[in-house]
Amino acid sequence: MGALGKPIILMVGMYAFLKFVLPNIPGSAPLPSSLIFLYLLLTASGIVIFETLSGESKDAFWGPIQRFLTGENIGGLQALRYGVFILFPLLVGWQTYGSTAVSDLPPTESRTIHPAPPGEYTGLSNPVPKTPENIMQGKGFYAAYCSPCHGGNFDGKGPAARGYIPAPANFADPTTIAMLQESYLFWRIKKGGVGLPIEGAPWKSAMPRWEVELPDEWIWKIIMGEYDGAHQSPRTWE
Amino acid sequence: MKPANQIMKQVLRSGIGVLTAIVVVGGATISFAQESVSVRATLMTGGVPVDDPSAAVWTSAPPATFPMSPQVHWQNRIQEVTVKDVIVRALHDGKQMAVLVEYADPTQDPDDAAALEFMVGDKKAHFAHGQPMLQVEGGPVNIWFWKNKTGKAVDMNAKGFGTLKAQEHQDVKAKGIYSNGTWKVVFSRDLSTGHAEEDVQIAPGQFISIAFAVWDGRKDGAGDLVEKGSQKAVSSWWYFRADAPPDYSGYMYAAIAAALALGFQFVLIRKLKKGQSA
Repeated sequence: MGALGKPIILMVGMYAFLKFVLPNIPGSAPLPSSLIFLYLLLTASGIVIFETLSGESKDAFWGPIQRFLTGENIGGLQALRYGVFILFPLLVGWQTYGSTAVSDLPPTESRTIHPAPPGEYTGLSNPVPKTPENIMQGKGFYAAYCSPCHGGNFDGKGPAARGYIPAPANFADPTTIAMLQESYLFWRIKKGGVGLPIEGAPWKSAMPRWEVELPDEWIWKIIMGEYDGAHQSPRTWE
Repeated sequence: MKPANQIMKQVLRSGIGVLTAIVVVGGATISFAQESVSVRATLMTGGVPVDDPSAAVWTSAPPATFPMSPQVHWQNRIQEVTVKDVIVRALHDGKQMAVLVEYADPTQDPDDAAALEFMVGDKKAHFAHGQPMLQVEGGPVNIWFWKNKTGKAVDMNAKGFGTLKAQEHQDVKAKGIYSNGTWKVVFSRDLSTGHAEEDVQIAPGQFISIAFAVWDGRKDGAGDLVEKGSQKAVSSWWYFRADAPPDYSGYMYAAIAAALALGFQFVLIRKLKKGQSA
């Protein structure tokens, strides 16, 4: 194995690690290709610095590269050498074309799913006593007003949901009401899609502004019914 | 020490691997058009078929399908609607544009109707009729409304439910034909109008927002319309873009870059060869 073999194995190994191993580590996620490219660039710079530390290692590192490029005593590899000389400009041209081409993708939307509620809603607690009767009543209101979109099974799959993007919240999903306080739900139900702040754009939420149709007490009961029906508990500060 | 030839072979074998990896990384960033989230108005030459929903040229425009929901945001809502999807195509010739909306409807009724909705100017608007946002100031929406009974389109504006108003300047045309349980409705207008405060202005190459609404004009047992006003099928906001004229500058830049790379190779090898012989 020459002085050039190890660096190349290192580069390939690094790429394979970043692309295929790292995303599978629990708690990790696939890396964007730009980040992988940056890491590979850093690895390559490190290798070049390391290999050129001493005159000897520098010769061992650059020697084979130089011999290949100048085509001196490389015998059967001559054809490959020409291949690289043709391929390299083509690759540069192709990458340039790719980076200047106009994207066919629409603008990216960075919607904040749970924007901060207005101050007056933080810390409110449910004034309705948590009795079986109240929960049952809440579920009844839920069936009448909420289930067409949020679904009879609290899973966001109601019959009216299909055309709405973002899809109606799935309350059984632990990343929805389970990580929110009751006061947050009270705000979202009362004000609906039109109550979203600027960071909630694009304004596509079809959620009605229920404060114009339902009394507060009903909304608090609906919240209770939702948590109970979806088998979730509100987030608390304790 | 191994002979140089063998080392080079090893090097090249692994080198090709690295090169492939670079191509894979680079290739992953190349984007593909997503027809399911946007309507693409194909650029054509010759007249846009504003009066002909079944013109052959429509097949040159890629279809995009959007799901529909009953309108629930506004209190005068409905829980079930006839039309579940709309298939949309669009064409433009640099001056005029036409949007073809196609959907299944089992019966042809005088009150069958369809509409397109756009944001006006730079201000964002809520998809539900430009309903005012409570915390932010939104803009109006421009609505192009077609009804079977009248056989024409009305160019309108709204900033919330109950504020719908026909414009003084009527710039939109529409024509619908019904056959085999399917409505095909063409809406058409010039890409730009002189009324930027009221009308959506369409600049080729730019993404704008579009939404759809459909009313099935059927009547219930008592003779009342089932779908009317805000009781209708609606879509969320989607994107619309009129194709920009073809731009070949990308090929030119690619050629320049390739030529530079080629020149760099020549200079590098000359230098290396000189260094070796010195």
